Amino acid sequence: MTGSGMNRDIDQLLASHPLPSLRSDRLKQVETAVLGDLKPVRPLAPEGAYLAAIAGIFIAVFSLGCYLTGQHGWHALSELQKFAVFVPLAASVALLAFSVVRQMSPARKLARSSALISAVLFVALLLAMLAVFQPAQESAFVRHGMACFRTGMAFAIPAALLFALPLHRGAGLSPVLTGATAGGLAGLAGLAVLEIHCPNLNVFHIVVWHVSVTVVCVVAGLIFSSVTFRRWNANH
Amino acid sequence: MGRSNEQAVEASPAVPGCALTELEELMVRYQQADEAGARSLIERLSPQLFRFFAAQLGNPEDAGDMLQEAWLRIHRVRHTYRAGDPLLPWVYAIARCVRVDSYRKRRRIAVREVAVDVLPEKAIEGAQGNDLPAFEKLIAPLPASQREVLTMLKVNGLSLEEIALATSSSVGSVKQKAHRAYQSLRGLLAPPRNTKREAT
Repeated sequence: MTGSGMNRDIDQLLASHPLPSLRSDRLKQVETAVLGDLKPVRPLAPEGAYLAAIAGIFIAVFSLGCYLTGQHGWHALSELQKFAVFVPLAASVALLAFSVVRQMSPARKLARSSALISAVLFVALLLAMLAVFQPAQESAFVRHGMACFRTGMAFAIPAALLFALPLHRGAGLSPVLTGATAGGLAGLAGLAVLEIHCPNLNVFHIVVWHVSVTVVCVVAGLIFSSVTFRRWNANH
Repeated sequence: MGRSNEQAVEASPAVPGCALTELEELMVRYQQADEAGARSLIERLSPQLFRFFAAQLGNPEDAGDMLQEAWLRIHRVRHTYRAGDPLLPWVYAIARCVRVDSYRKRRRIAVREVAVDVLPEKAIEGAQGNDLPAFEKLIAPLPASQREVLTMLKVNGLSLEEIALATSSSVGSVKQKAHRAYQSLRGLLAPPRNTKREAT
């Protein structure tokens, strides 16, 4: 397109317009700043290795959660409910993992769009839950809910710490997005454990106490990475 | 423009079995703390990066500050470059982040600060020894995203694929922005034919 006759006049015009040149003292300043702190660094591992690490952590936390807390929820769910909950949940996890690995290195395609699609899938999961679960009367809504929330967080927090191990090296460029995405992955691990464990099928219980584990983890990841990045920036 | 020296070389000694361009090989040497390699990379990329900032800011001093900030950022995240990946999109993706962060910072400062005096404008055009308006003034009326694409395309000499990678978008989207930028520029530069209609 740029070489076409139609645009050649614009090309010539743009080429003829001057731009300021870089002063040599500026270049020296840059060289001094960079070369003064020159140490060898180990490049990031291939994307596949990070994806495998994330998948491994997720599966380990999920399996441990299912083993320790029991599978009463799984047995209480109908086939439709299992499908409506676990298919979007698995898709969200896969896309978030893909997105966070892509965010680790600048100039990677689909990093932000996958995070966005994953957020859309999470909303789809929420809507599916609203559609397949029914409201019910509960005598101890807060007490039961808090117990579920604590269980979910008990697995989400270690998952977040484990996810931080491989991901922290790639959080230099978009730390807030990386923090939120890693928080989302940890929250989904907690949510997955709860869906297997909790036999309470009251839609309000699920939306308020189960889904909130993921929401809290995303917000916590966002705040933590934002504060850490600001401090790190102030020190460098 | 600016990439005439970038030619593919034989299998690099830094990464055996992986054919890298000269710039990419310099980047690998920079990661290995090779001072000559790092210096050479800075000298090769800095003029391009400076033009990238200057074309969008219009102030050489600010562009110089941003260049320094960009190099500090590149230095901090240099481990995120993987040998074999195209280098220029990686560098420009970081440069974009620096520009956006700097823009936000300036806006925050501008909101807090109250102007107390009018500073004299710097004579940028005079320093060029050219009667034509500066490039940044020519493209100033364009939206920021179109200015950015046009600068990468015309000033920095990046390909459409490289721009798409640097901006995390698709080639189609980059083409569309470039096309719109050309259309807008043509409209802006066209002789005023419809003055009568505007007057009515």
